[in-house]
Amino acid sequence: MYGKKVKLRAIFILSIFISLILISFLIIKSLEENVVYFKSPTEIKVLSEITKKKIRVGGMVKKNSIDINESEVNFVITDFKNELIVNYKGSVPNLFEEEKGVVAEGFLQDRNYFKAVKILAKHDENYMPPEVAESLKEN
Amino acid sequence: MSKNIKLISIVLFTLFSFFVLLKGLDKSNIYSPKIKESNIDFNFKAKYLFSEEEVFLNELLNNEGMSLINIWASWCLPCRNEHAYLLNLKSLNKLSIIGINYKDDEKNAKQFLIELGNPYTNIITDPRGINSIELGAFGVPETYLVDNKSKSIIQKFIGPLDDEAFAKLTKIIQ
Amino acid sequence: MVNQLGNYSLYIALLISIFIIIKTSLSFKNSSVVLSGNIFSLISVQSLMIIISFLTLIYAFVTSDFSNETVYNNSHTAKPLFYKISGTWGNHEGSLLLWLLVLTIFLFFFAIDSKNLSQRYRTLTLFFQEIIILGFLLFILFTSNPFTNIFPIPTEGTGLNPILQDPALAIHPPMLYLGYVGTSIIFSSALGAIISGSINKSWASHIKRWVLISWIFLSIGILLGSIWAYYELGWGGFWFWDPVENVSLMPWLCLTALLHTVFSLEKRGTFQSWAIILSITTFSLSMSGTFLVRSGILNSIHTFANDPSRGVFILCFLFVLIFISIFIYFFYQKTIKVDSTKTFLISKETAVLINNLFMMFFLSVVLIGTIYPIFLEVINNEKISIGPPFYHKLIIPFLIPFLFFMAIGPNIKWIKDKIEKINSKQTFLFLISIIISYFFVNKYGVSYLLSLPLFIFSLFLFFVTIKDFFGKNINISQKISHFGFSLLILSILLNGVLAKEHSSNMRVGDEIKFLNKIIKFQNTEVIKKQNYQSLIGEFNIVDEKNSLSLKPEIRIYDQPQTITSEADISSTIFADNFLVFNIIKNDGFYNVRYQIKPFMIWIWISVLLISLGGILSLKKKNV
Repeated sequence: MYGKKVKLRAIFILSIFISLILISFLIIKSLEENVVYFKSPTEIKVLSEITKKKIRVGGMVKKNSIDINESEVNFVITDFKNELIVNYKGSVPNLFEEEKGVVAEGFLQDRNYFKAVKILAKHDENYMPPEVAESLKEN
Repeated sequence: MSKNIKLISIVLFTLFSFFVLLKGLDKSNIYSPKIKESNIDFNFKAKYLFSEEEVFLNELLNNEGMSLINIWASWCLPCRNEHAYLLNLKSLNKLSIIGINYKDDEKNAKQFLIELGNPYTNIITDPRGINSIELGAFGVPETYLVDNKSKSIIQKFIGPLDDEAFAKLTKIIQ
Repeated sequence: MVNQLGNYSLYIALLISIFIIIKTSLSFKNSSVVLSGNIFSLISVQSLMIIISFLTLIYAFVTSDFSNETVYNNSHTAKPLFYKISGTWGNHEGSLLLWLLVLTIFLFFFAIDSKNLSQRYRTLTLFFQEIIILGFLLFILFTSNPFTNIFPIPTEGTGLNPILQDPALAIHPPMLYLGYVGTSIIFSSALGAIISGSINKSWASHIKRWVLISWIFLSIGILLGSIWAYYELGWGGFWFWDPVENVSLMPWLCLTALLHTVFSLEKRGTFQSWAIILSITTFSLSMSGTFLVRSGILNSIHTFANDPSRGVFILCFLFVLIFISIFIYFFYQKTIKVDSTKTFLISKETAVLINNLFMMFFLSVVLIGTIYPIFLEVINNEKISIGPPFYHKLIIPFLIPFLFFMAIGPNIKWIKDKIEKINSKQTFLFLISIIISYFFVNKYGVSYLLSLPLFIFSLFLFFVTIKDFFGKNINISQKISHFGFSLLILSILLNGVLAKEHSSNMRVGDEIKFLNKIIKFQNTEVIKKQNYQSLIGEFNIVDEKNSLSLKPEIRIYDQPQTITSEADISSTIFADNFLVFNIIKNDGFYNVRYQIKPFMIWIWISVLLISLGGILSLKKKNV
């Protein structure tokens, strides 16, 4: 009887242990797959290769660069050093304006051209997303 | 024994998270001191607050000696607090104080100066905040002591001026 | 003058707090210290003081007293009265005062509620709760005092962020705080109980109520935040896995686990240590939530620039509490008397355990997704963000077995049961779920791999809970909550799978075709309101059968100058029609987004049902 109990317990602990390992493995793997890196236009210019993964680009919307037609919006993100042309289909948030901070999420086509799938909203016009502030600051 | 190990590992892990978060706190709020201050571009055009004319900031930094650039706004509360220091600096009559009025309503800005006094030699406006960002500013108020000749920042004060900053400033000017 | 009143009452509350802590700390050594009536009246005075200071702040907001710095920074004379009042807690200082207010009021009710329990336990709980109160008082008084004066007195305030001027958001923080802060009582009480060695069934039935109260408020708080995001942020989504949303979800998951554990503890006396660990964790998570949101460490669309010294204070305070509780747990662990009654593999205890394991898994996923970017930035200086796919990938597959256990678990008896209980009725319901799901997936050509099993199992839970409503001796509150949960998953699933959206840039007079509908942009009209100008667009959506007119707004607020979009949503029980538009550039083009969101309203209803279950359970005397 006693032996059986100990055995049960051992199985229980072992199975918890194994599932813990499995779960950590799963989490780490999906972390790797789903992390979105943040880059500034300057960082993109010096990239050794164009990533196929989704990234975020932050900076200012360049003055007089927004161009709109029926289906899409084109604009230029600048960090005052380098620029990146962004093409976007979809709805833009409030406060998306020229000479304001912006964060675009999407895929790089080449070093100068970016297809955005999402433009991120901000709450406050005086507020700059920390990542944008930092990337502008670095330059 | 195994209880102690458990306790120690939990404590260590908590301590680790604590320090990472503490460091992160530091990080997300730093105003980078590493900014290459000599590379700052003072060569931008802006409108005067009290007239419709435009001027290059460079032209305002033309005499010998030093200038103080102060970025301010009427809606910014700490600016109110530092105003007395600016007025004091003006009365020393040692350097020109250039105000950059950041993302402000001109009417409010003028009202602010009428209310509290005008310490500035010249005031230019920066309604979009772009020029201030190019100078390296990330908040209001910020104050830079600039050497007119070499066009470089000697000293940067982030946040409102206080007794300490004032003492430092007066020491440098003397 | 009135300002000073609020300030002084906070100082009085501080003194009371210190006094009570000294007095009650004696009971660590001496177990015979009795809670005298004096202490009880002190608590009442303390609550009263904090109520007074809170009312003072409201008064300052209502009368637009700009000699108060908080009012100056967050209010404006042109603001409607309702938002002047809600502005009280719409800012950092005021929201902390609200925290404190809820802390003391909860303590007050706890003191009344626990009259029949052991004196030592009450005293200790009081001790820990007063430490938390003291921490917050110090925090408020020295880093974020809401009663700071400015001189000279400005004539006008700077205004409240217009996006926060919204009825849902006005009551969202108080609700969330009631939930967050409720966990503080659970924390203090768990520490009190472990030291006094009174973790048993009667403690469980006593603390159960507090767990339920926090859980209900937290659920409703999250719901309101989600509703607000739905119509104000203009994306048409209701949950973005944004860090700020995650920090409210984490205590909820933990609290849900605790709720189930406490039920089991109450009935069977099992899982004592686990209940303590969960109580401590829940409160730590609520506190970290406050820390993460208030310190500006999070990279979120919701956070506002903040003063770093505040973050350091909350962080240190949080970790002091965590360390205290870790040490107390380890040193007093031996007081837990293990109930030696046997439990078998197939029993309700196991079902509760399974629930807890799942909750802990969901919790770790959300926790890692939220703090991993912070850690990576500190260690590696790499800026990243983690998007919804991460959460979806990890949570959805595990929801399937979770739903299954949720369907069969509650019908298993305590101690021991037989596997044959999974009888023909349930098999029958399961088959029906499979058939319905199969036809559904076929008809709509849903391509997503996991939606079929997810649909089957949530439908299964749906049917099983409905069937159980007609059973004998049922636990009605639990059934309602579980039924609500199945409805929630079903509606989220249908909503996600069947949603249609179209966005384009349109000028006035333009027409676009979408599905079988024609969307026509009729005209725009400008209306002046109290503190903003409203640009109203008129859109007609016409299909063969009927036509619908939607009038979204763009608001241009004066103080501070900000533009917000208000979506126009027409809700029916089948679907929401959601339309929002935006100015991009002043050249006649508007960015228009039209969405059809099926069963949207059922998401809100199901969360209300889940909370309703909690409320009913609260009303029951003894089940």
